[in-house]
Parts: sequence; structure tokens; C-alpha cells
Amino acid sequence: MLMDMDGQAENAVFRALADPTRRALLSMLGDEALPVSALTDHFDMSQPAISQHLKVLRDAGLVSERRAGRNRIYALDPEPLRHAAEWLERHSDFWATRLDNLGRHLREKHGKDA
Amino acid sequence: MARTLRFEALYPYPPEQVWVALVDPEAIGQWLMPNDFEARIGHRFTFHTKPAPGFDGIVQCEVIELQPPERLAYSWKGGGIDTVVRYVLAREGDNTRLVMEQSGFTGLRGLMVSKILGGGWKRMIAERLPAAAARVEAGRYRADPEAPLSGCDG
Repeated sequence: MLMDMDGQAENAVFRALADPTRRALLSMLGDEALPVSALTDHFDMSQPAISQHLKVLRDAGLVSERRAGRNRIYALDPEPLRHAAEWLERHSDFWATRLDNLGRHLREKHGKDA
Repeated sequence: MARTLRFEALYPYPPEQVWVALVDPEAIGQWLMPNDFEARIGHRFTFHTKPAPGFDGIVQCEVIELQPPERLAYSWKGGGIDTVVRYVLAREGDNTRLVMEQSGFTGLRGLMVSKILGGGWKRMIAERLPAAAARVEAGRYRADPEAPLSGCDG
């Protein structure tokens, strides 16, 4: 239940992930870094439209961009996702531990082996 | 949308004894957190724990379901989440099967609960989030975002 990212950053990530095209883009970038032209080939959309989606992903910190000659190469940055996953992991650990504690509490109170 | 984290445990005691541990403030303090719980619908109470960055250490709660010795639910707000925690106790011989669910996750965390634990993004996690994926594969988490326990909403 600890909070790592501030709410605003988290909401930006959530908004970025809410769109199916952007999720598909992330999925492709999960395999390898790609230039915008290669990404555009996979969608029935104009390059400016894809670039706009990439900007939303970049603003959310999910995608990084570097220039290679005339191309812009995009790569997945899983850090925000990792933060959320780690938070969830800790939160789950919290409950798993507490439910173990409950078993121990019952054992101490009623004196029966589990 | 139902986004539910689910845990299950079997305790070698009858539901009446497990129930006491869920509603007695002193007992709750021993296994969960210090609190001022009272067993009546509408009672507002808090859990107190160590503050951490982004979390003042206080969980605000309100009892919303109370059906001894079978069902207990309270709201659970704090540390950036606004959820409901529900306990369902089922008698199994001399034992009690306890199902604990936390539902109502929103935002990125809700997405994590529903997609990742639900398996939707397994490939991406497997590649990018190996630790979390290992736990999902090991079946440590039981998340069933689409199917709350039958009768849970009744």
C-alpha cells in the first residue's frame, strides 16, 4: 500500500496504456527498438498519427527516443510498469504475511498445531 | 470494472474462532495492524502503521458488511488506493477456508491487477518484469478480475 509514483505520473501512464494502438506499439517495442516507419507499417494509420501516439507514450515515460541519422528510433522503457508491478508485489506480500500472522495468532490463542 | 486481488487460506479452527480474530480489535492488532475497529455496520475506523513516502501510515475504513461468522467487509482507503476488503469464511469440517479479496483498484494499479495478474500481458512481463512473472507463474497470486466470488455482491 505504499505509493511510489505520484498520482499525476501514474495517471499519465494509465492514460497512455488505455489506448489499444499504444498498447500494441508497446508490445512491438517490447521485442526490439524500432524506427517510426517500421512501426507505422504495422498499422492502418498515417505516420503522424503513430507519431502522436508515440508522443503520449514518451510523455508518460514508457518509451524513449533517440536519433540515428534521419531516423528516430523508439525503445520501450519499462520503468513505470516496473514501479507499478513492484508496488503490487509488495502489497500482495503485505496481505500474504498478514494472513500467515492470522494463522499464528489462532495457534497461539487456541493452541493447536496447523 | 472488477479488479480484485484474492487470497485464500485454510485454518484448522472453526469459523466462530476465526471470526473472533477478524472482529476483535486486540486480535486484529496482533495479526493485521493497530486499529479502533467495532463490529457494527457503518462504523468508521482506522488502521495505523509506519508512515512511508507517499503514505501517512493511516488506512481509513468503514464497516460495510457484517454477517457473523461468514462475511465481513470494510472500505480501505490510504496510500493512494480506495478499495474494499472482504473476508468470506466457509466451514470445512473442523476447519475454516478464508477467502480474502481486495477490490476496486483503479488507475495503473488496477490495470496491473487486472491485466498482469489476469495473465493478459504475460509475455511482456515475462520479458521485462521477470520477478513479478515468476511469482505469477508459481501461482502465488490468485487474481480473478472478471469473476468475483459468487454472491459477493449480494
